[in-house]
Amino acid sequence: MAIPETAAAERPAEERDLAGINADYKEKFGFHDPESGYAYKSPKGLSREVVESISEYKDEPQWMRDFRIKAYEHFESRPTPQWGGNLNQIDFDNIHYFVRASDKNSRDWSEVPEDIKNTFDRLGIPEAERKFLSGVGAQYESEVVYHQVNEKLEEQGVIFTDMDTALREHEDLVREYWATIIPPNDNKLAALNSAVWSGGSFVYVPAGVSVAMPLQAYFRINTENMGQFERTLIIAEEGSDVHYIEGCTAPTYSTDSLHSAVVEIVAKKSARVRYTTVQNWSQNVFNLVTKRAVAHEDATMEWVDCNLGSKLTMKYPSIYLLGERAHGEILSIAFAGEGQHQDAGGKIIHAAPKTTSSIFSKSISKDKGRTSYRGLLEIAKGASESKSKVVCDALLLDEESRSDTYPTIRISEDDVDVGHEATVSKVGEEQIFYLQSRGLDEEEASKMIVNGFIEPITKELPMEYAVELNRLIELQMEGSIG
Amino acid sequence: MADVGAAPPLPTQKTRGWEFTDLSALDLDSYTAASDGDPEARARADGVLNPPEGTDHLVVQVDGAVLEGGSVDVEGDGRPHEPLVASLESSLERFPHLREMLGALAPADDPFVARNDGAWRGGALVYVPRGRRLEAPALISAVQDADGAALSFRTLIVLEEGAEAEVWEQWLTTDSNPDSVFNTVTEVWVGPGANLRYVTAQGLSERGWVFGTQRAEVERDAHLDWVALGFGSARGKVRMETRLAGSGSSARVTGAYAGNGSQHLDFDTTQEHAAPNTTSDLAFRGVLEESATAVWRGMIRVDPGAQQTDAFQESRNLLLSKSAHADAIPGLEIEANDVRCTHAAAVAQIDAEQLHYLRSHGLSDEQAKRLIIEGFLEALVERLEEGPVKAAVSVALERRLGEILGERQVQLA
Repeated sequence: MAIPETAAAERPAEERDLAGINADYKEKFGFHDPESGYAYKSPKGLSREVVESISEYKDEPQWMRDFRIKAYEHFESRPTPQWGGNLNQIDFDNIHYFVRASDKNSRDWSEVPEDIKNTFDRLGIPEAERKFLSGVGAQYESEVVYHQVNEKLEEQGVIFTDMDTALREHEDLVREYWATIIPPNDNKLAALNSAVWSGGSFVYVPAGVSVAMPLQAYFRINTENMGQFERTLIIAEEGSDVHYIEGCTAPTYSTDSLHSAVVEIVAKKSARVRYTTVQNWSQNVFNLVTKRAVAHEDATMEWVDCNLGSKLTMKYPSIYLLGERAHGEILSIAFAGEGQHQDAGGKIIHAAPKTTSSIFSKSISKDKGRTSYRGLLEIAKGASESKSKVVCDALLLDEESRSDTYPTIRISEDDVDVGHEATVSKVGEEQIFYLQSRGLDEEEASKMIVNGFIEPITKELPMEYAVELNRLIELQMEGSIG
Repeated sequence: MADVGAAPPLPTQKTRGWEFTDLSALDLDSYTAASDGDPEARARADGVLNPPEGTDHLVVQVDGAVLEGGSVDVEGDGRPHEPLVASLESSLERFPHLREMLGALAPADDPFVARNDGAWRGGALVYVPRGRRLEAPALISAVQDADGAALSFRTLIVLEEGAEAEVWEQWLTTDSNPDSVFNTVTEVWVGPGANLRYVTAQGLSERGWVFGTQRAEVERDAHLDWVALGFGSARGKVRMETRLAGSGSSARVTGAYAGNGSQHLDFDTTQEHAAPNTTSDLAFRGVLEESATAVWRGMIRVDPGAQQTDAFQESRNLLLSKSAHADAIPGLEIEANDVRCTHAAAVAQIDAEQLHYLRSHGLSDEQAKRLIIEGFLEALVERLEEGPVKAAVSVALERRLGEILGERQVQLA
């Protein structure tokens, strides 16, 4: 049954906590390294030649070369989207589209160039790897400079490597799934990624294998006017289970950088994939990402998408529920301070019977920051007996900030029950819920959300860079019900 | 924009706000401008609302012909000194200054407003001077009878400070069931402390197009109670915008629609809070049978500085058939922080448990379904104050329900 619910209101103490988010960004993440040892840096601007040279540089097979060129043509021919955030301010000619900082991808931290290693040390990546993770990838500029995966997992057939290596070593597997979820003409930014992609993760989990500890990729931009275009593909075979975590930061510069990733996920029958993002780009990065997953019969797909950084983020992770009883969940958390616009949300498309989903969005705006929830919930014809709930929860910490909610609901089946509710309100004010007359009181409805949705998500990620995510997840509705 | 040739192009499904309503089959040039209509057609018009009793504030128009409201016999210099309900065209001849209020609220960049501007005929005016009250409801009926004709209609409602009025407006068709275009623009100004109850009922031909652009501005401490019914038309869009312009103002907007066959109904509502301490409360409910589809897009906008806003919107749809389809697109744009804004949207079928319960109490399947649908709509009618409007809306919904359920209709004992 759809019992969507929402409200927003926190105590002043929590408000003080929130106000401090990213106050120390410059010291913690905003530093940068010298570029003295860089192997290659393409000149600014994008052209067919730049696209061809990236492919040549990577010595790619012809099909990938052709794919890139075709995508480049899509990118060139498509207008800049005029909805969401202001994309007209991006100067595509003032971006380095490919930067190689290190000549190799190491499996040993000691082999990573000193400056880069220091950076990842400061970010706590090697320490996290030792303590909590099954595998780690670290991308610096355009390519992955360090990669390691637990040997036992490798013995079980798990592949966790960077996308460039995957294309070389597992070409057939990559090609089978490549761009099948997000075609290069999906949207202008996905076309750009498809043309100039570099780095990212490739994850393959064989049938029945459960990856107990999470896999993690960390993305770091170091140079100014950088474009980072990683490409990630996760394939979870029947009955497998994997949790993938990504984090990202960049130095603070006065000029803009661009991050535009494509992430494709296939969760096969009864598989379970959780994808957690802690996005904390510096406030000069445009973050324009296309993420999409398909979930087959009895599979579960979960996006935990936390957006703290960047100048403008436009990102709506989506889930296509293709098999009966597939389940999708999206938890979208956004924080916008001065000069920031987080245009985030999620999309779930029910395309098979008895599929279920929830979207839970929590956003906070302060200091003229703007958060926009943009979502789609669609029940396609044939997806009978499906259920979904969408809950949006927004806080405005001062009178100059802005919050938008743009949910879309499309229903083409009559035996479904779908609902959405949202509340935007002032901090500290007691809330009265509006409730569907479905027999649940607000306490019960809220518990259902808190227990049924937040709880299964690992409450705390142990990584240092995830401290804000932990704090925002903690910021639950329980405190807001008067 | 007076030159129709320079009107903005018609929207396509790539135009924002028009994603779910396809106008590619609309060839405006193939419709002739409505000529003087057949006065006899008035008797063949199907009213949606049972008219209020004892009113002589009538404006009736069939195609281009004004049948009631053509004479303006009130005193005034520049503006009427007495409450006036009349054809807009005649009113503007008598009171040319009123022309300044035309187009003050309607968005001129809207392609249908632009086309209406130079083309409307007849129209209706309700004008209530400062502190006056319209003693009986105004009843405005615009009727389409001619096949292949486009009628541009226009309504201007002005309530000066402290004025009160009740206005009933119907857009109708005759039993000729024409293939037609109805393009109407409504501008409503509720002055400081004024109080307006306004009902618009759309009962146009199910072969025709409807385009309505309605905008109300509500001044300080004024109140607007607006009810909209959407039953007819094959396709189109009705925009209903309410702007709370003065502090202490409030608006309640209630909408009901019911479609069958291949009808596509589209409502686009805006509640703009432009001043502090304002309240808006909007609820729409729709029932869709056969292959009918509906779109409801609603936006609550809170402008900077509009503190102590209390805004609510909800849209609920009941799908009666596998082929019915509904899109609900609520939206919030909030630029003030001391506010309470809530929205809700739901799409559901007839609740199986309720159905089972009623059947176990001796009702047939048909009877039980009908009762549940009535209950669904009744919850909306309950928002209205007791009185002739509520009674008329309730009867209109019941009658429409009978129509869309067709031969399955069963009288309850």
